[in-house]
Amino acid sequence: MSKTTVILKREFRSYFLSPIAYVVGGLFLAIGGWFYFSRVFFDFGAGAEARMDGFFNLLPLFFLVLVPALSMRLWAEEKKLGTFELLLTFPVRSRDLILGKFLGGLLFVVVLLAFTLPYPMTLAAYGKLDWGPVIGGYLGGILLAASYLSLGLFISSLTRDQIIALLLSVASLLILVLLPQFGAAMSPSLAEAFKLLSPVEHFRSIARGVLDLRDLIFYFVFCGLFLYLNALVLEFKKRNG
Amino acid sequence: MIQVENLVKHYGSFVALKGISFEVPSGQVLGFLGPNGAGKSTTMKILTGYLYPSSGHVKVDGIDVQEDPLSVRKKVGYLPETNPLYMDMRVDDYLRFVGSIRGLRGKALSQGIQRVVEVCGLARVYRKEIRELSKGYRQRVGLAQAMIHDPEILVLDEPTSGLDPNQIVEIRELIRNLGTDRTVLLSTHYLQEVEATCDRILIIAQGKIVADGTARSLTSTLPPGPLTVEIKGPKDKVETQLKELFPPETGVQVQFLGEDPPGEVCFRVGTSPESDEHVREAIFDLVSRNGWKLLEMHRPPATLEQVFRKLTLDPIEEPLVAKELSMGGSHV
Repeated sequence: MSKTTVILKREFRSYFLSPIAYVVGGLFLAIGGWFYFSRVFFDFGAGAEARMDGFFNLLPLFFLVLVPALSMRLWAEEKKLGTFELLLTFPVRSRDLILGKFLGGLLFVVVLLAFTLPYPMTLAAYGKLDWGPVIGGYLGGILLAASYLSLGLFISSLTRDQIIALLLSVASLLILVLLPQFGAAMSPSLAEAFKLLSPVEHFRSIARGVLDLRDLIFYFVFCGLFLYLNALVLEFKKRNG
Repeated sequence: MIQVENLVKHYGSFVALKGISFEVPSGQVLGFLGPNGAGKSTTMKILTGYLYPSSGHVKVDGIDVQEDPLSVRKKVGYLPETNPLYMDMRVDDYLRFVGSIRGLRGKALSQGIQRVVEVCGLARVYRKEIRELSKGYRQRVGLAQAMIHDPEILVLDEPTSGLDPNQIVEIRELIRNLGTDRTVLLSTHYLQEVEATCDRILIIAQGKIVADGTARSLTSTLPPGPLTVEIKGPKDKVETQLKELFPPETGVQVQFLGEDPPGEVCFRVGTSPESDEHVREAIFDLVSRNGWKLLEMHRPPATLEQVFRKLTLDPIEEPLVAKELSMGGSHV
């Protein structure tokens, strides 16, 4: 078992020790379920297609609150408890710590998403489901969560206060999500450029069921950048105390 | 073997360490003493690789902490000043986590846990959540965490702070036992603690080492306290004769302390170390000549507390004066 896995396991399990995960997870499943079922029962008239896009369209919005609520504690809590000093004096590289926390949080999101798998399954059972966009939606959802999480993890490393981490993360993500709209308000060329920077646009592209390498590269670079910034923060703290 | 060479640490414009050097041979229990903010914790944080020094080096068995932090951290067990506990974890889960991240697997892991649970007396709380534990037990869990990989070096930052007297005695005994076969560095505010547990004491003040030695060698640098003499005899006679024996010009002060029970009079005799031998003999002769009885003649040695106060208060005043002079009268 690598050091990263040890950290991953602890982070994942610690979600089940705190009420936050249950509240956030429960709300996600409840609201997501409501949107899904309302579509099924109200729009599922004659000739309607079996689709999941109502659910996936709202995923960027759900994650806007859900992911920061999961990422806020990742470093801030360690600082508050004093375990931050413990982690950084273990014979473990900073990158293994960061990666372990990132993957631990991501695993929790993946498990939450897995709980929604009965939705497409029932749809497939009662209607003709096009699995392409569904698989794309789930894959895109995981990548979207990963990008939000890398940003939230980085912000959590800046403070010892979980609430501050939550608020800053939600605000930063909100700016990121609204970036294309800001761009559109200014100029069409800026709108295109800002679309390229928005995790949500890349999610939409994947959720259409089209896997484009550029979208994957975007998430890879985005997560890499914020995980790297996180490592810089840890390095800065060692230097300056 | 720990070598600390000319360690300097700045926090912004504040200089926490102003060039500290010392060596700790293997197997020694070294106590760090010093007022708050003297640089004890900073030194420990650098030694464990949590902070980088601004300049200077720390080497453990010849390995530089900054060049190869992971190898050094493997050899070191560390209990920071804030006990690093995950409150919502159970004791067994916590120890298993720390053990695994320190690279223990399978049998080595379960043996490591079993050993620290035994040494630290955690069997009763092994399956409890850490938040349910008393402060004393939490401190033991913190210690257990630091020792789970059986490290050559234990770094303990104020391991007994905030504990009640019984718990302090327990933890001290634990540390003394641990110190028999490994190097221990501990910092503390309790002077009795270093006297009780440490082979050697380093006193740090204002980011500098101001004393280094055993408790005995440090206390012997200060003159001993005044002589206390208890004599059984008539009060007035004893007093006048003592004052005759030591008139003011001898520099020996005689102070009447009390008479309890009647007939037993107690005096404090202030002496300088040079005249000490002479004074004691003179008192003895006086008593025997008059047929009184000498019940007690006692001269307490200087305490570590006095050494500490002298060393850690003086250097604060000196630089202040120097600063005012160099400011040329301008107000800051």
